[in-house]
Amino acid sequence: MSIEHTHGHDHESHAAHDDHHDHKPTGFLNRWLFTTNHKDIGTLYLVFALLMFFTGGAMAMVIRAELFMPGLQLVEPDFFNQMTTMHALIMVFGAVMPAWVGFANWMIPMMIGAPDMALPRMNNWSFWILPFAFAMLLSTLLMDSGGPAAGWTLYPPLSLQGGQSFAFVVFAVHMMGISSIMGSINVIATILNMRAPGMSLLKMPLFVWTWLITAFLLIAVMPVLAGAVTMLLTDHFFGTSFFNAAGGGDPVMFQHIFWFFGHPEVYIMILPAFGVVSEIIPTFARKPLFGYTAMVYATASIAFLSFIVWAHHMFTVGMPLTGELYFMYATMLIAVPTGVKVFNWVSTMWQGSMTFETPMLFAIGFVVLFTIGGLSGLMLAITAADLQYHDTYFVVAHFHYVLVPGSVFALMAGAYYWLPKWTGHMYSEKWGKIHFWISAISVNILFFPQHYLGLAGMPRRIPDYSTQFADFNMISSIGGFIFGASQLIFVGVILHCVYKSREAASGRVWEGARGLEWILSSPPPYHSFNTPPVIDATTVAHAGEAH
Amino acid sequence: MEKVGRDEIAARRSRAVRTAWVLGAVAALIFITFILSGVLKS
Ligand code: HEM
Ligand SMILES: [Cu+2]
Repeated sequence: MSIEHTHGHDHESHAAHDDHHDHKPTGFLNRWLFTTNHKDIGTLYLVFALLMFFTGGAMAMVIRAELFMPGLQLVEPDFFNQMTTMHALIMVFGAVMPAWVGFANWMIPMMIGAPDMALPRMNNWSFWILPFAFAMLLSTLLMDSGGPAAGWTLYPPLSLQGGQSFAFVVFAVHMMGISSIMGSINVIATILNMRAPGMSLLKMPLFVWTWLITAFLLIAVMPVLAGAVTMLLTDHFFGTSFFNAAGGGDPVMFQHIFWFFGHPEVYIMILPAFGVVSEIIPTFARKPLFGYTAMVYATASIAFLSFIVWAHHMFTVGMPLTGELYFMYATMLIAVPTGVKVFNWVSTMWQGSMTFETPMLFAIGFVVLFTIGGLSGLMLAITAADLQYHDTYFVVAHFHYVLVPGSVFALMAGAYYWLPKWTGHMYSEKWGKIHFWISAISVNILFFPQHYLGLAGMPRRIPDYSTQFADFNMISSIGGFIFGASQLIFVGVILHCVYKSREAASGRVWEGARGLEWILSSPPPYHSFNTPPVIDATTVAHAGEAH
Repeated sequence: MEKVGRDEIAARRSRAVRTAWVLGAVAALIFITFILSGVLKS
């Protein structure tokens, strides 16, 4: 058999056994619809996430086009609200989260020396639920009552005032939740049971650690979201009054419940990003990660703290003063472990012999720009100040900094980092760098002015605005169009790498890369480690004196 | 190099399935207690 076969002999662990022919299933349906292979499922997740990224991105373009000038130009206000709501739901649940699950599927078995995920058939289900969930969600746009328009937070009473299509939204959220929970169960079961002998927990790469912790967060909070939307469903269609004030329910209770889910959810989107960046920076600084153990503990404390800060999203609902103070200080505490992480990334680069290939550029872009988002988060955590900022574009600027040059840049960094490993070919470094620079510049043109808009009082989720906001909105929209268009370069680079690139990638790919995935050939054999690899300082990134 | 035999793989897989059931039960329990607490309160 082809390339994989010959490369399979590269490493002694593969020479040891004889049945390592790659039995890829034949036929399109067998290969993709019925697949139980972690790499194929990883690919499905990543392709799906990319499709959703462009679907949600198209909606963002509608939003920025409408906001290009004051006045109502292009769309009806209700449709505008559907766009903001759908954009967020699709980006959060359709793009960022599935993309991270895709990385988990591809990388975790390879990184811990396992042949595959622990529960391959459930893995197939976790993925194939998603296209149906999103088809259902998107179909609401075509229904008489239109898509959901109350914001991704689905606050009642507004969310209860929509039409019949709301039922589809709720069921779609249920399916996404089931998919995430099954994915998380698989991740935890794999990491706890399938590690190669000698791969102790504190030798695991940070990407594996951050995903382990993320998976626990998901299992804890997705059922809460599922419960909350179920109650919205019965309030809407079956006359209950969980959140309906007219019937004795409590709409503020919904906010507490939503954010008990919602705040951990934002860390679900950022912890794997921390993991990827912690893999990439040591590779291109050619130094072991500074403070490996501290990174693990920082991740765990961020995860723990994420459960006890939720009401910083609700400073304006009228909590008792003690509550406001508690949530302010608890939120500020998160800055400590986050600061530890940023410090450790910078220290890893310190006096390293750095090179700036595309993954490293995106990783450094992440560290710098994510930190801007962290700092505006800290500003929002100041209760007295948040009374002013809340529900303005300042909040929009904050969370887009942590999510776009944060989570999304980390996804791009990871994609460029492992693309040669996945495909066996090098991508075009020139176009990767062009993609990075246009993205990094335009993302700031897009989101930085939104800080000023917010400070000046422009509310979020509106299709029209008063004329003093015109200039910054126009700048922001221009940045948005450039950013949106430049993501097509990413698709071009991927397609070129997969189908056209002639430059073969070595197993190690990057000179400074450490970790088990790099002792496999590029592309790796269909089943990663049928024989467990040797775990020692030469194969594992964190086996040395680093901790 | 430590060898991992077929028995060991099978044992791991069954441990993984047990982990999965425990985690699934935890998720289901959170969902059910959450709904129940809402129902009983109203
Ligand atoms: C560094 C620590 C962080 C702090 C102190 C912080 C603080 C806050 C606060 C106080 C708010 C509420 C603002 C308001 O509505 O008035 C907020 C909103 C938000 N934050 Fe953060 N944040 C941090 C990091 C993050 C991260 C890492 C993410 C995601 C990757 C994130 C995503 C969001 C989102 C999505 C919202 C808005 C939710 C909405 O209302 O739609 N934040 N943040
Ligand atoms: Cu929060």
